[in-house]
Amino acid sequence: MKILVAIKQVPERDAQIGIAADGRWIDESDLNYTINEPDAYALEEALQLKEKNGGEVVVMCAGPERAASTLREALAKGADRAIHIEAEDLGERDTLGVAQVLADAARDEAPDLILTGLQSEDLGLGQTGVVLAELLGIPHATIIMQVEKTDTGLRVKRELEDGWFQHVEMPLPALLTIQSGGNKLRYATLMGIKKAKTKETKTVQAAATASPSITLERVYLPEKQKKTEMLTGTPDEVATKLVEKLKFEVRVI
Amino acid sequence: MRAALQEALSRGWVRMVALVCAATVGARIAGAVLSSEIHFSATLAEPGKFSRLEVALLLIGSAISIALFFRRFGPILRIILRSKKDKDFSLRPIGRRVWDFFWEVLCQGKVIRQRPLPGLAHAFVFWGFLAFALVSLNHLANALELGFLRPGSYIGNFYFIFAAIWALLVAVSIAGLFVRRFLARPIWFGTKVSNESGVIAFLIFLLMVSYLGAFFVGDGGVAVKALWWTHTLTLLVFLPLIPHTKHLHLVLSPLTVFLKRDGFSKIPPLSSDEDFGLIAGKDVTQLISLQVYSCVECGRCTEHCPASNTGKVLNPKEIILGVQSYLNQSGPASDAPLLTEGLVDSRDNPPAKYMSMEAAFECTTCGSCEYQCPVGIQHLPIIIGLRRGATNTGAWEDTHGTKLFLALEKQGNALGLSAMERDKFIEKQAFPIFDGTQEYCLWLGCMGGYDPKGREIVADFARVMRHLGTSFGVLKKEKCTGDPARRLGNDLVFQTMAESGLKAFETAKVQKIVSICPHCVRTISNDWSEYGIAPEIEHHSEFMARHKDRLPQQASGESIVYHDPCYLGRYRDVYEAPREIVAMAGELVEAPRSHERSFCCGAGGGLAFLGEEQGERVSNVRAAELAATGAQVVGTACPFCNTMFRDALSSMGDAPPQLLDIAQLTARALPKMQEAGEQ
Repeated sequence: MKILVAIKQVPERDAQIGIAADGRWIDESDLNYTINEPDAYALEEALQLKEKNGGEVVVMCAGPERAASTLREALAKGADRAIHIEAEDLGERDTLGVAQVLADAARDEAPDLILTGLQSEDLGLGQTGVVLAELLGIPHATIIMQVEKTDTGLRVKRELEDGWFQHVEMPLPALLTIQSGGNKLRYATLMGIKKAKTKETKTVQAAATASPSITLERVYLPEKQKKTEMLTGTPDEVATKLVEKLKFEVRVI
Repeated sequence: MRAALQEALSRGWVRMVALVCAATVGARIAGAVLSSEIHFSATLAEPGKFSRLEVALLLIGSAISIALFFRRFGPILRIILRSKKDKDFSLRPIGRRVWDFFWEVLCQGKVIRQRPLPGLAHAFVFWGFLAFALVSLNHLANALELGFLRPGSYIGNFYFIFAAIWALLVAVSIAGLFVRRFLARPIWFGTKVSNESGVIAFLIFLLMVSYLGAFFVGDGGVAVKALWWTHTLTLLVFLPLIPHTKHLHLVLSPLTVFLKRDGFSKIPPLSSDEDFGLIAGKDVTQLISLQVYSCVECGRCTEHCPASNTGKVLNPKEIILGVQSYLNQSGPASDAPLLTEGLVDSRDNPPAKYMSMEAAFECTTCGSCEYQCPVGIQHLPIIIGLRRGATNTGAWEDTHGTKLFLALEKQGNALGLSAMERDKFIEKQAFPIFDGTQEYCLWLGCMGGYDPKGREIVADFARVMRHLGTSFGVLKKEKCTGDPARRLGNDLVFQTMAESGLKAFETAKVQKIVSICPHCVRTISNDWSEYGIAPEIEHHSEFMARHKDRLPQQASGESIVYHDPCYLGRYRDVYEAPREIVAMAGELVEAPRSHERSFCCGAGGGLAFLGEEQGERVSNVRAAELAATGAQVVGTACPFCNTMFRDALSSMGDAPPQLLDIAQLTARALPKMQEAGEQ
């Protein structure tokens, strides 16, 4: 089975994020980048599938030069090949635009299965995988906890709300978006890093940006809001007002 | 002069020699060898002429003996020589090597110091052998009429008497050691009785007795010839037994002690892109081969091992013997894995998973084994080497270990907390950021920066520094030194951490560092040297001891038992500085095991971050030992020990002793004004 894993490079979790001067993106200087966590789980799932069923794991990542380090890490953890889709303007592309460059690369590979994290830690749109599947015309399933290879295709476990799960049988080729925590991640090893040096990384140029259907107008840090309202009256009146507010304004009861 | 000497001899200790000989061994010899009446002469009897047949027998016997010796010793030597070269080996510093040889081999200093009675007995046997070398040579030479020590001559007479005293001491010592091994039987000798030791002890005893016997018989008689042959045959049997048994240490250990790697628990750099640690025989280096063949199976390593003592699989002696058996079976070029999960036969103990990943990862790297080893075996590079082989290749799969490595990779600290937590702590304590103007960089470490108790210790140490008026600052960003990754054999994470740390110090232009954590101190000062030169670093105990004149002397009268952290004591040789601080805070109490014999808290070697232990918890054993001293306070000097004892003591129930770091012991007596001024 040939598995293609689409990964994204995002700022490290503890990074102190600042806003770029134009207010349309974050300030990228002085930031350390790492693999998007759900994508790390997608890679782990791919590696485990390969260990069980054989095949090949190819990782691809769209991004500027720095994305190569994340690809190298993925190779060190056990991926066989890497595709670096060079794109300096990722911030200006919308989900469709990003999915298109990924789809271009995926078509050439013709994988049996595409895995990606269910969402990114930076934008958190959760759409890229789904759009990519649509562009490629293959079925997809989202928020996957477990993947099992069957004779006809796949059996996957989806996470629903409130502790519910759904088991789905699906044919191949297919695309799955993987939820974090379904597997245990592996650590990168010295041997892996050394081997990664001998593995192939193909670099392709991303096609030029088509005019995006969605543009980011403004990026800003969460604004702290504190609103205090004093309820006055007798305890009974205050209680009634409080219940009303909880029911109709805050809508928690 | 001769008369005087003879008089002295006949009166003094020689009479004692005669008496003891007659009492202990005389009867046997008299019955078996001597038909004539016992009489004593102060000169050694010489056998008469040797017939051609006798000379031929001697030569043939010697040839067979030497051949048998080399039949076993040859292959061992080949294994050692064909093992991988130690790329980092250097004879320098030669002075240290000569000193170790003098002290540990010639003086038997370590053997005696760590186990006085059996140590002394061993030393007598060793010195006796040295004294005996000339006698033995002369003994054999006599048959060829080449004897160079004449019983009649002054030198000969003196030397024979001199050797006789040693022979007596050896005989008594070896008999004592025999009693110890076969009757007293300390547990670390294992459950199986070592028959070969008994045979060797008997041979040594026979050598001495057959020598001493010559003082009781006349020149040229049948008896002296019988003694001569007994002695000679014993020698000829003894020689081939040496390489077949642990007595190979007679030949190898002087060399091993002289050649051992420079530095305690020195982990050698990986030699090439293909080197990931000790995976198979092909990774075993010459020094390791030499060391494992030198093992004398005394079990000191196991006696002191915190893992072996608390019911874990790890047994350092069996690791050494396991590598030795591996080399015997598979050789130094083998690709077969060193660590097998199966049960391994042991010479002394029932089979167990001695050479397993489980065993290798139970080591706290406390270093007791390496410290205690009398023949220069360096266990830590071997055990950590085995871990490297498992971790660097990803063969070691452990939930907690993986979590730790990922935390170090992602968060840069061993506790896996957000770096922002450290920022908040620094802000709350109003620690200045190091900007090059301060004298010291105060290194927090993972415990000092993230652990609640570690933070208390750092905060108190900062108060001490402020009290002393020493300027200090902390790094804006600090990552783990990589100590747990280093000890668990993850070279990738360790290298990343070391390089990032070195860069941080260089960027901040740090000159001097002080830290509350002995693990950080060791790793920065020693292990980082593989990747660059770190600024000078010291432990807070050393810093405070240097300034003790300006620190308050407390009249609390409180009894404080001090626990030596492995990484401060055995690793750094700092024993007195923390004691000076403790003594200023109360009355210093020593634990039964202290100084270089201190028993680990169980946290080292990355084990603080791994899962629950098998068997008894190491920390519980040590905490109980410390509490049993009756001291009111347990004084620590390492945040890891502190945290281990905190849990262990709190589970001990009624009124456990208070637990304080030496920084806390000092800071509690600082003037209140100072405190108010700070806040």
